[in-house]
Amino acid sequence: MKLTRRTIMALAACSTALIAQPFAASAQDLPRNVRMVIGSNSTGGDTYQAASIVADALAEELGINIKVDAVGPSEAFKAVGRDSRGTTIMLHHDQSYLANLYGVPGNPDPFEGYVVGPTLTINPGNAYLVPKNSPYQSMDDVLQAAGDGERVRVAIQPGGVSEIGFTAMRNAARMASPGSEENIVAVNTGSQSDKNQAMFDGLADVINGSIQANEQFAELPEDDQKAMRFLWITATQEALEQGPEAGVGNLTREDMMQYAAPATTVPMSESEPFTFDKEFFLIYNQEMDPAQMETIDTALATVFENEELNQRLLDAFFIPDYRPMEEAAAHLQQKRDDYATVIESLKAPAAQ
Amino acid sequence: MSELLRVTVDFDRSHLIFPTLIGGILILLGLAILLTHRRAITGAGAMWAETLAGMDKIRFFGTLVLTIVYFLLMVPVGNLWPNTGLGFLICSIPFVALIGILYMHERDARGLVPMLIVSVVAPTIVWWLFTYVFALTLP
Amino acid sequence: MAIFEFLTPMFVFLIFAGTLVGIIFGAIPGMTATMAVAVCLPLTYSLGLDNGLALLLGLYVGGISGGLVPAILLGIPGTPSSITTTFDGYPMAQRGEGEKALRIGIVASLIGGLVSLAALFFFAPALAEFAIKFSYVEKFLIIFFALTVMAALSEDMLLGIFSGFLGIFISLIGVYDVTDGGNGQYRLIPPGTEYWLESGFSLLPVLIGLFGLATILEGAEAGMPKGQSLKDIEVGAHSRFSWSVFKGQVANLLRSSGIGTFVGILPGVGGSAASILSYTATKTSSKNPDSFGKGNPAGIMASEAGNNGLTGGALVPLLSLGIPGDSTTALLIGAFTLQGIQVGPLFIGNNPMTWDSMIFAMLIANIFMFGIMYFAIRWLAMVVAVPKHILFPVILMMCVIGAYTINYGIMFDVWTLLIFGIFGWLMVKLRLEVAPFIIGFILGPSAEIYFVKSLESFGTLSIFFTKSWIAMLLWVLILGSVIGSALLARRKSRERAAGTSG
Repeated sequence: MKLTRRTIMALAACSTALIAQPFAASAQDLPRNVRMVIGSNSTGGDTYQAASIVADALAEELGINIKVDAVGPSEAFKAVGRDSRGTTIMLHHDQSYLANLYGVPGNPDPFEGYVVGPTLTINPGNAYLVPKNSPYQSMDDVLQAAGDGERVRVAIQPGGVSEIGFTAMRNAARMASPGSEENIVAVNTGSQSDKNQAMFDGLADVINGSIQANEQFAELPEDDQKAMRFLWITATQEALEQGPEAGVGNLTREDMMQYAAPATTVPMSESEPFTFDKEFFLIYNQEMDPAQMETIDTALATVFENEELNQRLLDAFFIPDYRPMEEAAAHLQQKRDDYATVIESLKAPAAQ
Repeated sequence: MSELLRVTVDFDRSHLIFPTLIGGILILLGLAILLTHRRAITGAGAMWAETLAGMDKIRFFGTLVLTIVYFLLMVPVGNLWPNTGLGFLICSIPFVALIGILYMHERDARGLVPMLIVSVVAPTIVWWLFTYVFALTLP
Repeated sequence: MAIFEFLTPMFVFLIFAGTLVGIIFGAIPGMTATMAVAVCLPLTYSLGLDNGLALLLGLYVGGISGGLVPAILLGIPGTPSSITTTFDGYPMAQRGEGEKALRIGIVASLIGGLVSLAALFFFAPALAEFAIKFSYVEKFLIIFFALTVMAALSEDMLLGIFSGFLGIFISLIGVYDVTDGGNGQYRLIPPGTEYWLESGFSLLPVLIGLFGLATILEGAEAGMPKGQSLKDIEVGAHSRFSWSVFKGQVANLLRSSGIGTFVGILPGVGGSAASILSYTATKTSSKNPDSFGKGNPAGIMASEAGNNGLTGGALVPLLSLGIPGDSTTALLIGAFTLQGIQVGPLFIGNNPMTWDSMIFAMLIANIFMFGIMYFAIRWLAMVVAVPKHILFPVILMMCVIGAYTINYGIMFDVWTLLIFGIFGWLMVKLRLEVAPFIIGFILGPSAEIYFVKSLESFGTLSIFFTKSWIAMLLWVLILGSVIGSALLARRKSRERAAGTSG
């Protein structure tokens, strides 16, 4: 049991090694005790899970302790910004730069003033749903309805991951018929339960949700007030393909593909469909020793070759997605710039 | 009638609705208190003089000063040994001991010894439990 | 029998261990059931689902119950949901009836736990169906009803209500949180303090500051008078617990358990509202409401039956909708997904074995909780006999740990503790009232969200009256509570007038 292992660790840690540690550490070594702050306040959510699975494997590989602290986005940025010794690292997902792009206060740009590190894993669950008896059978119906002057109310949590798909819908509506994006309106809500409730109350026609949280609602019979139907899954085909074949509940991998690009498309530009994978990655202090970052990268490369970690991630419906730091930074920067273009162009009044 | 009750909420400014409403109510209640409790308010100076005269100044301000020093030192000391919780442990032992001595009435060996034992043992147990068994972050 | 597949000695032992650790967490001021579950969540991966859940449910039941110990003996609520227990429990302890108060609290906790468990077992899907009829409007009215207790708890009506609104006002400082449905903008932050105040003041440090540090400061101001001696705890027959205190309280216990369960079922109303609401309801319907807050056993029963009623209630939406009923059950979702089990409307049907094992675990945890606490009372009550110069510094240290760890390591939370400790001391001097203040502070954020969202969604003030029959029923309760408090205040002032003239 873990408790006994912890006890032994405690005894070991109480010994002199711990007291001598700050003087003994050499440059490329990571400190013995690392704190991983995450951009979520919840220890029950996907960010915490991804963090704890990766942190466990990484800690074992490096032979150090890593504690995951769910301090929330702004405190996490502060904590990592204060500490350049490598004793604090941050784990977050696309919310980090999306909140900044949407202009939510308290959210710095992670690409400025921080170092964006390796990507780790994807949660491919981001989805949009309608009530089971909704007239909308596909995303095309939704865009068509907006084009015909019908108001489509979409329940989202504003300012981040939950809003980006909504932004994409508006962008697509404008491409199809300029001005019709005004017919796709946000119902600003909070948690998943608020979004579901907005649908039950008849306040929203489409809601943002996730495969994991909403799949069972999609299995309910149509006469149930709570019954829902998937309309769109924003993940890329590549991400879904790596997922477990059995999928989640009654929704197999093949079913999921039907709701994702290219089977279901919401265009981002003339040639490209919009896709969004919720990727988890590390963020470092700008002044942290590059050798330490290198050490983490090497260790991550090793653990991601290990079947055990990948299987653990897949069991919890995460897609392993390790990219070394530089490749990851370039990839995320590109992703950010693409979304920034869409968000910015929708803001422009000339578009109306 | 229904026209009078109609409200439109601008989402971008919706963060101000409730604070304004509550602030307004607070001002009204504050005015009502000013009117009904005039005598108590004018007597406030005397009340404070009495409080200060009657208070155990050493214990009261001693507690405040010790607590502030304790809070101020915890993080810098903890930063010497990052993420080990030692800042908490090293600062808590003298803090508990000093507050204990401050609150004691007869400062003789019979009282001091158990108190000093507690001031070493309690923080150590707590530190060990939280850092290693529960794996929580301490300063 | 199928139940023996999960009902192993290990299963029972884990429930016992969980309940015990939970009680300890709950009993330490500043540590909560949520935190107990959070720190043990990683252990459940290696334990497997049934055993892991056994541990977590034990922690949950124990953590919610343990809060009554410091609430009664020290006047410091161990968890936010035991605030209302301090109102009557602490006065009883000060009268030397600490042991009796503890026993009352524990029995009420057990009843609350069992009633809610029965509700969970027999009616979970139907209750969840009913819960989704509660939109923003009904949820606001429920919070509003809970807020009306501010008036009932006030010594001086005007100052009490002012304190309550001040509590709401201070709870609004900081960001209008997007995760609750806000727009992420700041308000009420004094310029230059954004770095610290952007997320406002956290509930737990405020709570232990107002109740813990402020009490210690008052003690220091008075020169630390010597505490009760061991003899005081056992004096006289009047402190002896007897089952006859429950005579005539069956309705109270059932109502409070029911309210607790129902608040648990409503996602987003919040755990601490359970005990506040059942306390409000009991006080409103009592024949002599002015005895509340002065050591009336019925107050402890309402509060403890209410907060333990939460335990079964909060599992209803979790297991029948996949939506957590409070912050602790939100963590249980993590335990399920780590094991690759989906929670949603089909959970109970798809996982009958896990469902059975959870019900059994809750039942056993409630029995252990009762057993452990009931027989530990004699020792627990001795806390009061520990000299203050040893007890107070250790409590202070525990408060610091609680504040620092509640949000996983934020130093500003520790400063919050100090700020509200001093503020709590000042409030007493200014004759502002702490009880209505903290109730306003707890309920303020949800009141805001549901009020603003109701207007945002429906666009008219009349919606509060016309939304549904549930809304109208809630108005009846609100009016009952307000009128009750007004009559009480009038009687009090008349008595005071009679007292001065005679």
